[in-house]
Amino acid sequence: MAGRRLEAPAGAWIDRSRSVGFSFNGRPLTGFRGDTLASALLANGVRLVGRSFKLHRPRGIFSCGIEEPCAVVDLGRGARRTPNVRATLLPLVEGLEAVSVNCWPSVGFDLGALTGACAAFLPAGFYYKTFMWPSWHVFEPAIRRMAGLGQAPRLPDPDHYEEKAADADVLVVGSGIAGLAAAVAAAHAGARTMLLAGSARLGGALGARADYEVGELAATARQLGVDVRLRTLAFGVYDHNLVCAVESLSSEGAADLPECVLRERLWKIRARAVIAAAGAFERPLLFPNNDRPGVMLAGAAVKYAFGFGVACGERAVIAANSDSAYEVAALLAALGIGIAAIVDRREGAAPIAGAAGLRVMTGAALRAVHGARSVRGCTVASLEGGRRERIYCDLVLNAGGYAPAVHLHSQAGGKLRWVPESAMFVPDGTAPGVASVGACAGVFARGAAASHAAEVGAALAQGRAPPAAPVGGAGRSDAVTRAPSGRGKQFVDVQNDVTAADVALAARESYRSVEHLKRYTTTGMGTDQGKTSNINALILMGGYTGQDPPEVGTTRFRPPFAPVTLGAIAGRRVGRLYRPLKRLPAHDWHAARGALFETFGDWSRPAAYPQAGETLEAAAQREAGTVRKRAGLFDGSPLGKLEVFGPDAARFLDLMYVGTMSTLETGQARYGALLNENGILVDDGIVARLAEQRFWVNTTTAGFERTLASFEEWLQCEFVDLKVAVTPVTSRWGNVTVAGPLAWEWLAKVGFDAALAPAAMAHMTMRETQWESAPVRVLRASFSGELGYEVNLPVDLAEGLFERLWSHAEELGAVLYGIEALEVMRVEKGYIHIGTDTDGTTLPGDVGFARGIERKAAPFVGRRSLLRPAARDPGRLQLVGLVPVDGQTLLPVGGQIAPNPPPTLSEGHVTSSHLSPELAMPIALAMLKDGSQRTGEEVRVHHLGTSIAARVTQLPFVDASGARVHG
Amino acid sequence: MVEPSEWRAPIEAAGLAVRMEEGMQAATLRYFEPGGAFAAAVREATGAALPQPLEAAQSADGQLTLAWRSPTETLLLTPSAERLAQLEARLASAPDGCLVDLSGGLEVLRLTGEPLADLLCRLGGTASVPRFGEARRSRLADVPVLALSVRPAEALLLVDRAYAEHLMGWIRETLLEFEGA
Repeated sequence: MAGRRLEAPAGAWIDRSRSVGFSFNGRPLTGFRGDTLASALLANGVRLVGRSFKLHRPRGIFSCGIEEPCAVVDLGRGARRTPNVRATLLPLVEGLEAVSVNCWPSVGFDLGALTGACAAFLPAGFYYKTFMWPSWHVFEPAIRRMAGLGQAPRLPDPDHYEEKAADADVLVVGSGIAGLAAAVAAAHAGARTMLLAGSARLGGALGARADYEVGELAATARQLGVDVRLRTLAFGVYDHNLVCAVESLSSEGAADLPECVLRERLWKIRARAVIAAAGAFERPLLFPNNDRPGVMLAGAAVKYAFGFGVACGERAVIAANSDSAYEVAALLAALGIGIAAIVDRREGAAPIAGAAGLRVMTGAALRAVHGARSVRGCTVASLEGGRRERIYCDLVLNAGGYAPAVHLHSQAGGKLRWVPESAMFVPDGTAPGVASVGACAGVFARGAAASHAAEVGAALAQGRAPPAAPVGGAGRSDAVTRAPSGRGKQFVDVQNDVTAADVALAARESYRSVEHLKRYTTTGMGTDQGKTSNINALILMGGYTGQDPPEVGTTRFRPPFAPVTLGAIAGRRVGRLYRPLKRLPAHDWHAARGALFETFGDWSRPAAYPQAGETLEAAAQREAGTVRKRAGLFDGSPLGKLEVFGPDAARFLDLMYVGTMSTLETGQARYGALLNENGILVDDGIVARLAEQRFWVNTTTAGFERTLASFEEWLQCEFVDLKVAVTPVTSRWGNVTVAGPLAWEWLAKVGFDAALAPAAMAHMTMRETQWESAPVRVLRASFSGELGYEVNLPVDLAEGLFERLWSHAEELGAVLYGIEALEVMRVEKGYIHIGTDTDGTTLPGDVGFARGIERKAAPFVGRRSLLRPAARDPGRLQLVGLVPVDGQTLLPVGGQIAPNPPPTLSEGHVTSSHLSPELAMPIALAMLKDGSQRTGEEVRVHHLGTSIAARVTQLPFVDASGARVHG
Repeated sequence: MVEPSEWRAPIEAAGLAVRMEEGMQAATLRYFEPGGAFAAAVREATGAALPQPLEAAQSADGQLTLAWRSPTETLLLTPSAERLAQLEARLASAPDGCLVDLSGGLEVLRLTGEPLADLLCRLGGTASVPRFGEARRSRLADVPVLALSVRPAEALLLVDRAYAEHLMGWIRETLLEFEGA
């Protein structure tokens, strides 16, 4: 016999008039509205729910809550399949489909169970010791395939998730009697109070029994305006009292869900004070085969009986190490569930239930559990040994004591103390910003828990220090430092198949720290994070290593308290909202002309404008070649733009850039290299003087934020006396770049002033003028090496100028060109791209700026660092050009330069590489040790098993005289 | 998800209306002393004092909005390009400060409706929600935004033009499933 429904009034949480159909492993079943999947399975007599992680042992339902280690199932199908859902928390809905995990072909006949026969070869840490011959990698794929529990869906999640911020004076996590009392008191004291309940009902453990006081408190909380959030599980406390929680919004697994639902909401709650009222977990006991379906936590059996009207068995044996066993026995017996015996391992335990006629065996323990897929009895003997007695039962309940849920307290940085009488850790005072109440504070006596919680709620609402917790009421519970003898595995961690023998093995192999124990044996890992195993593991570890539990300590509790879906964490950040991408002002115009958009930095930009049947690379070659011979039109709007204003603006820019900007006349422009305090090259750009106290600064596109932040930091932290205002204007100005021999001719066709002609306007100058009554700032500069104009104009006019220019493109034989063509051309010219050709070690001298530094007498950021011996080492990597010796092979970016194939010391690497349309051969930039002295030398470039001969060349590859930029 | 070309379309749902303001002129006032000569010039030119920290205010005719942005910066909004040009000309010679025209570089989203705060809490932190008369710089929908309120049950979100599509997309998706609680 397995489970069955009890008669009303048992079943406070279910509505027997509302039948709910569902399926488990394809088998149609029914439950009631209000059931969880676990309670419905138990009511239908389903004992075997899944298979264990490593040994594929049969497993049933172990608990009635979030701590569930065994009854994890895969929910739904297709794109909505959700792996590893705890059946104990999953509300039953019509059409729900669930399947067991980690079994094949079925949970009843699982071929994976053969691993059980090989258990001797699979001890803790087996992957460090066995399967080593001939190589671990031979076995690794198969072992990895077998590892894990559920199966993730292969299709995109159709549902939506959102996040929401909230703040509160007092946030209460947990809705048991202590949490409710704290929330009511806080609200009474005038605090804006929020209460989170992980389940669909208030009341916590007492809610199942229609507790009057709980009902009253819940009603009062609502009357006082407490913001109560059901099905909202707080999973983490972060800095400055930020609590994150996940709210379940949809009926998970329901068959009639629309195509897309808002499934979960991630709450980010800032609270002046947080009250943890998360309760406690019941601790299981160690005995042989303590993992069989039908072995479960005693408190869970009470919840199933009173809350869901489910008898988990007909005849129970209670394995006891706590007074709670007697209360459980009395409650279950009152509902007609047989109690075969209470087997209390504590000598001299008060036989509370014995007076009620129940059989109590003290100083005794279970030595065996009979039955493979379901409990069929157990064998009991005294702790000293002696005669063994076999008892018929179909249910074995664990009442091993309690483990307060100290996770939030611990996450907030709180310390723990050991209470030896009850063998449990409790919060040692309050954590910063977080006070604990009720069972999670170690206060188990109902009256004391409620009154203490109310005092804490009122105190925190009024800004007072909360009173100390009156720890007690859990009764006596022994710390069991040795597993009892008997045949069969004794599981410490039933989810990860970690046995007492594994813990002993870890101790024998000299592991002492609980952190090492966790990593070696995997105890405390997995979806349950050891909520029912941690304390037993560390007590056992202490026993094997001669340490008391406080000396062994606990592992550090980290968020999340329970598994959180990736969807909830991602929230709206999927699809087009995956990351904020900046949109060009003329985005649609480019799209209409066949732009192939790619992401560069934060921008979505045209990489090229491929013609029919043309590849990206071929398009870039065509575009670059045309710009060199005719002209091209480029959208440079993303180029970073700053206006630097103030009486000290020139002096400030002298400090920030290697170039000297204070000597610029109005209208002149100069290249600038930006260093950090270590002398590392972090950005470059062009500075133009607009007026005596006003400068225009172009940064790189990707380096804009970095440069702005650097300017602000130096102004606000170091150069505080300088009167300088830095204003970002990138989006205010569109940038229409025209480059190529016909660039001016093209601009003249659309009415630009003749004063901008190459003869009248020199390279590296800027003019503020007008184009068709609009203010424009035209910069003569070039990253292509050709005659170039960067026309900066009010952003709303950019598309219009593109269109006007484009209308003349055909007659000039000009093209639109994208980033890829620009890259080709700048490599031909040997121009570096910060972040591509440089890295976090590159100094200006490494890329040919040594003369500029020597010429500048004034101080600038990073200068002192350039005087260090390491900065003057002639063996530094230096920028060079490379060409393949065969004149044909494209040198791979990232390829390492070395005389011999790896593994060997690298002499440098290729940073940029393209096929040059101008030279009709591959060219590359590279950083090479002592590169400036190695021109003409043949080197070898190694990449993924290939080796290519290349020759070091001087830069640039094209137009060495620089005549072209002058038009 | 709307088509790319439709991203500027107004949204109305659950008692909220969101629309992108067309033609709003924006400028930033930069200065070194909030009580200095430039502040006096601004007062003379606009008739309004520079706002206090976190303050936002609008002229009675609705033609000029000033919003605090930082200790040395105030944002100016006006629907009139002529008005901005006049101000720029008047402040051009003012000492110890400058006006930088940002028109076109900032998009202005006007949000109206009672559940405004609930919507903004779904885009960012609670500190992002401006009360009436406030301006708050923060991140909404993962992008930097200046949110200000100069009318009851209304907020203006000022966002870099390049990020406007992202912000509108986030708001649109949120409002599709918005229940206002």
